[in-house]
Parts: sequence; structure tokens; C-alpha cells
Amino acid sequence: MGIYTAPSVGVGVTVMAIKAQSGERSTVGRANVAARLLAAIPANYLLTSLATAALARLLWRGLGVDPANASVAAMLTSFVMFSVLALVAFGVRSALRLWLWMIGAGAVLGAGLWLSLASGGRL
Amino acid sequence: MKDSLRQSMALFHTWSGLLLGWLLFAMFATGTAAYFQDEITRWMQPEVTGSADPETSAQGAVRYLNTVAPDAISWYITLPNGRSATTQVYWQPGDGTRGKRGETSAVLDQTGRAITVRETSGGFFLYRFHFDLHYMPVLWARYLVGIAAMFMLTAILSGIVTHKKIFADFFMLRFGKGQRSWLDAHNVTAVIALPFHLMITFTGLVTLASMYMPWGIAANYASPAVFQEQVFGREPAAERSGRAQPLVDLAPLMRTASAEWGGKQVGYISVTNPGDATARVLITRSPGAAIAARGETAAFAGATGKALGGHTATGAAVATESVMIGLHTGRFAQWGLRWLYFLSGIGGTIMVGSGLVLWTVKRRTRLPDPARPHFGFRLVERLNIAAIAGLATGIAVYFLANRLLPADLAQRADREIDSLFLAWLAVGLWGMVRPAGRAWTETLALAGACFAAVPVVNALTTSRGFAASIMSGDWLFVAFDLMMIALAACFLQAAGKVAQHRAKNASAPPRRAARKAVSQ
Repeated sequence: MGIYTAPSVGVGVTVMAIKAQSGERSTVGRANVAARLLAAIPANYLLTSLATAALARLLWRGLGVDPANASVAAMLTSFVMFSVLALVAFGVRSALRLWLWMIGAGAVLGAGLWLSLASGGRL
Repeated sequence: MKDSLRQSMALFHTWSGLLLGWLLFAMFATGTAAYFQDEITRWMQPEVTGSADPETSAQGAVRYLNTVAPDAISWYITLPNGRSATTQVYWQPGDGTRGKRGETSAVLDQTGRAITVRETSGGFFLYRFHFDLHYMPVLWARYLVGIAAMFMLTAILSGIVTHKKIFADFFMLRFGKGQRSWLDAHNVTAVIALPFHLMITFTGLVTLASMYMPWGIAANYASPAVFQEQVFGREPAAERSGRAQPLVDLAPLMRTASAEWGGKQVGYISVTNPGDATARVLITRSPGAAIAARGETAAFAGATGKALGGHTATGAAVATESVMIGLHTGRFAQWGLRWLYFLSGIGGTIMVGSGLVLWTVKRRTRLPDPARPHFGFRLVERLNIAAIAGLATGIAVYFLANRLLPADLAQRADREIDSLFLAWLAVGLWGMVRPAGRAWTETLALAGACFAAVPVVNALTTSRGFAASIMSGDWLFVAFDLMMIALAACFLQAAGKVAQHRAKNASAPPRRAARKAVSQ
């Protein structure tokens, strides 16, 4: 995601770290790290779960994979998604942009999942 | 600007690695040992010798279960394979209660007699601890272990990004250079077996994936049972009819199943509603017979022996998952590959351990006052001692307890496990009260001494000592003794290095004073 678009990634956390090491602990820096931690762990899990569920639906209802294999394929992919997203959360320059991206992606995936579940039930 | 990505990833690597590093160390160490769980169990049951025939063992197990649990809801029989000589059985009592472990399970010999002498959990305990931990609900343990594994995966990925000269460092292991050497040790063990570390961490997550990420299944299935049935062919058990009908001989069913699978051995048998007209026998292929962990199954009517069809998981994703689990557990591996698994696991254990130590070594030089480090630093230092030297001592004591506890002690298997944790706790406490440098020397030496004591105690308490084992060509026991000696040598060597290092530092006090002066 953002990691590829911004040429100067990772500056936020690094600056924060240098400040922390020199003993200068700003509230801004702390909030920055907290925002990234929240994005990297709970929000990441939520988004990955949505993506996994949406992918399982897409594979089954959209691409005709049998439901068991669709579910397992999505499940196997989820760990890649989660770990990459966790790194991205600390790698991108702006925590705000990160959150906007994640909320946007979550909304799109959530809407897709909801539509899919509303249009056809589960086994 | 690329460097700032590296810096933030380095920071991420440091903290994600540290936070769950101690748990990961224990998981790596016990998981590595678990590649030899059958061999460890054989060593811990020195009274059991020879090998067992699966068909005879299955018949013996049925005789045993018919006496102790004739009205059980189901029986589960794990048959001996080329590596083990005993049969494990457990059953679900007929009254529907979940009996206490030990009351609903038994270890049998080929003839179906329970092995009661020197009751032990053997290598199985190390295997279960690897993902179930101990003294806590299994469910919590598995979530905790999953979180640790996810941290591990991100630590590996961020470690790769952090690493500048991944191939140059492959050949770089400088000894006796303080922090640089710790970094080298961390890098070499990480890089040499990098594909293994990535594979083992990812596949480890996959083994319990439906617990950690159930939403893929939940999206397509309102009831997980339907998924289970589609993938594993598990049918819900029928109600007992009440018409008693003895179970048919299992041996011909095993031969039929085996022939269907092209000669692959049988690994597990489960029987639902035993002794009833509705009894159903499910025979599963041995996990050692192919990489894929989810083996083929064949079902039979328990009362008549009529084949009810087989089941093989189909589809690319399901097969991938099954192979991933098989790769993680390594049950298919023959001797050469098994040793490679073991050595890679040792590499992983050293990688995690050296990473933990590196955290303190790197920060020690930057402390405002190295003689009086702050609380966080002291905590990490002490937890490192407890995790590394403590667990090693605990495992050695587990083996010693197996030989030293009275053979007919009540709940003996549990007492062996308690011994492990008591020793671990004792070392942890020792590390808390002693100065850190001295505590390292002492606890590493203790771990070494305990490992060294294992072959000695074995020779004194059994008739299968080192010399006797060589004479009789009992290579499993010989290898076990040699492994204990190798571990003892490593830990004693490490203790000696720490002592040497401390002596060197003590003889050069001006440097520390000078550094202190600079920092002030």
C-alpha cells in the first residue's frame, strides 16, 4: 500500500525513536507510536479478518471454487496479509494516511462482504 | 531514504522479537526436541524393548478397551510405528463426562497390557508443551502461542528488511568480539536456516489456523461442522441402538485399508459406539507414510466389517494446508531429514536466544551507569537467564527425574513434569537474586552439569548404560547419551566463556571508569 508510494518511508517511527533515546519524549511521538500499534495489531486483525472473509466469499460465489477450498485458501492467505500489514504500519511515513487507507479498505471489504452475504447464504 | 525504512524495521524487529522472545525460545527448544519425541519416549521407558506389530497391537488395544471402557462413546487408538513400540489409547467415557487425563487414557504394550511401571509422558510432553504449554487452559495457551508465532513471522520479515548484507554475513562469524560476535551468531543462525525459519513459523500458524483466523470458514459456513464433514469426512456419531454386538477383528480391516492406500501403513483407529450394533470404525493412514498430514481414511461398520467408503481430502487449498501441517510436524521424515529438522530447530533456538542476549549486550554499553542498570534492562537480563539456562536445566531435570523418581510413584508422569518446572523456577529465582554476570556462569554451568549427569544416572539406574548400549548395538540409547554429553559440553563451554569475559572486564576497571566519566 502506502509503503510503495511514499519514497521516504519509515521516517516517523525513526524520528520518534531518536527523540526517545535522547530523552525527549513528546506526546506527539507517543501518540504516533500508539496509533501505529493500534493499526498494526487490533485494527490489522479486524481488517485481515474482513479481507479473509471477503476473499473466501469471492472465491466461492464469484470464481466457483468449492466452498471448503475457498475458505482454506483465504485462511492460508490471511497470515501473509496480517504480517505484511503489520510491517507496513511501522514502515509508512504518515500514521494518518495509514489509518485512512485502512479504514477505506475496511469499508470497501465490509460492504462487499455484506452484499455477498445478503445475496446468498452460507452452508 | 531507503535507510530510514531499514531503521524503522530494525526498531520493529528489536521490539517484536523481545516482547515474546522468551516464549518463542521455549517453543523453539521444545519443538526441536519434539522431532525426536518417539525416541525420547523410548528412552524414558527403558523397560520397554523391541518393536511392536501394528495389527497385534490393535487387537491388544481392543481387548484392553473392552475391559476398561466397554460403553465408551468412542475409542481412539494410536498404533506403534517404526519409531515407537507402544500403543496410546484414550476414550470418551459413556456418561459423557470429560474424565481427567490419565483416567481416560493409557499406554499399552503389544499384548494390550497397560504399561504401569515408570509411568511417563515422555517426549509427548515436550511436543504438547510446544503449543499447549502447561498449567493453563489449552485454549489460552494456543492463542498465546499463536500470537508469539505471528510476532516471530513479523520479526523474521522485518529482520530480512533490516539486513543489509545478507549473503556477506552468511560467511561471517567472528568469535570473542563482544557485541559483534553476538550479532554474527544471531545472523548466521538466522540466515543459514532462513528458509526453515520462515517455513516453520508460517506452517506453525497454519497448524492452528482455523482457531486464529476462523473467518474464512465462517464466511462460507454457518456451521463449522459442515466444513469439518466436507474436508475430513467426519460424520456425526450415530445414537447408540442399545443392541449389543461385538466389534469385528480389526486386523483384516487394517489390511483392506492399507491395500486401498497402496500399502501405506495404518496410523490411527477410532471406534464410535464400541460394542453396539451402530459401531463405526474409522481407520486413518499413518502420518509417517506421506508428507500430507491429513491422511486418507477408510470407514467400516464395526459390527459387520462392511466397508463404508473412504475419504481423501481434495482440492488445491486443502491439500496445501495438509502438506504445510505435514512439513511443520515432520512426521514423514526419515532419519537424515529428521536430523536436518533437528539441527535447523537448534539453529532457530540459538537464533532466538542470541537475539535476546544481543538486546542486553547492545544496550549495556549505552547505559548511563553500567553498574546500576535501570529496571527494564535488569528485567530483560533476568528473564533471559530464566528462559535460556532455566529451561535447559528443566529439561535435563525432566530426564533425571524419569530415572530417579520411584518407578511406582502415584501420578508419576505428572511428578516428572513438575520436576521440570520446579527446576526452571529455581533457576529463575537464582537468576533474580544473584548479580547477573555471576548468575549466567552459575546457571549455565548448572544446566551443563545436569545434562552431564543424565548418562551417568542412566547407567547407574538401568541396565541400558552407555557401554551396555554399545555392546548390544542399541543406537537409540547411545545417541541419546551422546546428545546429552554434547549439550553438557555446550553449556559448560558457555559458562566458561562468560566467566572468562567477566574476569577480563574485572581486570580492566579503568575502561569502565573512563566510559562513565565520558557519559557524565
